[in-house]
Amino acid sequence: MAPIIELMDVTKQYDAATRALDGLSLSMEEGEWTSIMGPSGSGKTTLLNIIGCLDSPTSGNVRVAGTEVTGLSQKRLTLFRCQNVGLIFQQYHLIPYLTALENVLVAQYFNGAVDESDARMVLEDVGMGRRLDHLPAHLSGGEQQRVCIARALVNAPRLLLADEPTGNLDSGNGAKVLELMKRLHKEGHTMVMVTHSPDVAALGDRIIRLVDGRVASDDRNGESRSKVVGDIAMEAEA
Amino acid sequence: MFWRVLGKSIARRKSRVALAIVAVLMGASVSSALLTTSFSMNEKLSAQFRNFGANIIVQPRSDTIEVGLPGISFGSVTEQRYINESDLWKIKRIQNWSANVLGFAPFLYEVVDVNAGGQPRQVVLAGTYFEHVEPKITGNDGSDWYTGIRNIATYWDVRGSWVANDSDGRGSMVGITAAERLGLSLGETYEVNYADPFTLNVTQKELVVAGIVSTGGPEDSQIFVNLGVAQELSSRPGKVHVVQVSALCFNCPAEKIGREIEYSIPSVQAKSVRQLVNAESDIMMRLESMMGLVTAVALGASTLGVMTTMTTTVVERRKEIGLMKAIGARGREIASLFLVEAALIGLAGGLAGYLAGYVLAQYIGQTVFGSAVTVVPVVIPLTLGISMAVAAGASSVPIKRALGIEPAVVLRGD
Repeated sequence: MAPIIELMDVTKQYDAATRALDGLSLSMEEGEWTSIMGPSGSGKTTLLNIIGCLDSPTSGNVRVAGTEVTGLSQKRLTLFRCQNVGLIFQQYHLIPYLTALENVLVAQYFNGAVDESDARMVLEDVGMGRRLDHLPAHLSGGEQQRVCIARALVNAPRLLLADEPTGNLDSGNGAKVLELMKRLHKEGHTMVMVTHSPDVAALGDRIIRLVDGRVASDDRNGESRSKVVGDIAMEAEA
Repeated sequence: MFWRVLGKSIARRKSRVALAIVAVLMGASVSSALLTTSFSMNEKLSAQFRNFGANIIVQPRSDTIEVGLPGISFGSVTEQRYINESDLWKIKRIQNWSANVLGFAPFLYEVVDVNAGGQPRQVVLAGTYFEHVEPKITGNDGSDWYTGIRNIATYWDVRGSWVANDSDGRGSMVGITAAERLGLSLGETYEVNYADPFTLNVTQKELVVAGIVSTGGPEDSQIFVNLGVAQELSSRPGKVHVVQVSALCFNCPAEKIGREIEYSIPSVQAKSVRQLVNAESDIMMRLESMMGLVTAVALGASTLGVMTTMTTTVVERRKEIGLMKAIGARGREIASLFLVEAALIGLAGGLAGYLAGYVLAQYIGQTVFGSAVTVVPVVIPLTLGISMAVAAGASSVPIKRALGIEPAVVLRGD
């Protein structure tokens, strides 16, 4: 399979003291579900933001869906993200004064084509068909997350990026959301998911552990393929 | 979708948006009041100044002859000259400023003896136009053009009635002081005698008191009759001593009008009543600069009000803006959400401000000028334009701030 994401020697330096990513190189393949784990401050969210074109690396190259995104203008990055990346947030980030349906329509609107029947279909697909006209405040956390997933899916992106999608959910709602994500993966969606939970991470085809902005381990199908320096691996284990 | 997002976002922040509208309203109402007053003032002030009487005096050009012994001047004498009544229409047909000539009234003065109560008394009799149709002039729509003392001296306080028109050979208007001195009252008939100073021939005329005039000026001790009557009495047909001209002189140079009159009728000299003209411009200038200052302060306050409200809104909606950017909103889409909201705030505040300003203008009109202010249609788009510009301008800094929001930063999981 062709890599859909390629990072080459990517560094992200916020200030002199904070280096979130440190010469990171990795690639992910189309249709793959990659879980990213690591302690707080290890660079998981920064990595996700760079893959999702929400942030740019300080140095190195990033290639997403065949496009070299490093150096693209803000305007082109926005367009690229809109067409190729679906974002799922831990906090859902729904617009509070818009209904479930409208929250999905907004994503279509910014992509240039509003199709209400399509938006309804996606919401029905994630099990929200009967809650279309509810405001986020009237939805449970799990329901809000499903609306967030529907919004991420509505523009048929090539890549789904999820940052702790079950982090704010109780176990029941978390399980429902994970079921949905498993199904989406089965349907062929490429997913990159940041999680703290080993159980959730284990649902993926591959688990990448980050420590101090570097890959500490890279396990595929349960077998460690890490080529990581010993001390970092030891630190990760610790 | 744009309008749905905008509408719902505004509906959710009703009180904050209302606050911004009130901020615009305050500035808009002052601008609207002052614009309405200022525009109306052109008409109002001119009308008021017209009430003071004529602002250009036309006299026959006369050569002054110095009299005296060598080295000692006894003063000067002027040969009595007249303006021809047949030339007067030219005053309304001057080259560039004819539209500003509102009217004129000729005067022919003579001293007459009045027999009232058996005792003859001398009094100045003035022949003039009361309400004269000038046959050589027609209005734009072909209507008659009226001129005369009734048009240019609206400050005359008349008890009784005006002398109707040129054909009234007996009607007269008597100044209040003269009426008291002569013991004349409304409707009374009296006799005037004019003795020619050269031939000593005496002509008589019977007149009726149509009205009693009070002006607080020299008119109070004079008698006014139709010009033809005075000309006939003193055997000076077609002659006039002086013409008072009322020109609409709001910022227009009365001197130029005067020069044009002199050009049209070469035998006359026309002088502006300079003090009056200067007073007009002076009052206007003072009022306009005061208005400008108040408007600037009010609009500045509105700008600050809207800017504060919009900045708070942007800060409150940081995550929402970040989310929109993350899911594909471009800068112009974010900017247009705020700009259109600002324009709507400007529109609503401007409309409400126009109405409030109109009420305020009425108050200013009544208290300062003693008359109602008219609706000036051009003030509506002007006020709306100013309000929308203030709202949009005040939003520029908050919008810039919104555009600078980085989704990765504001959406970071807490």
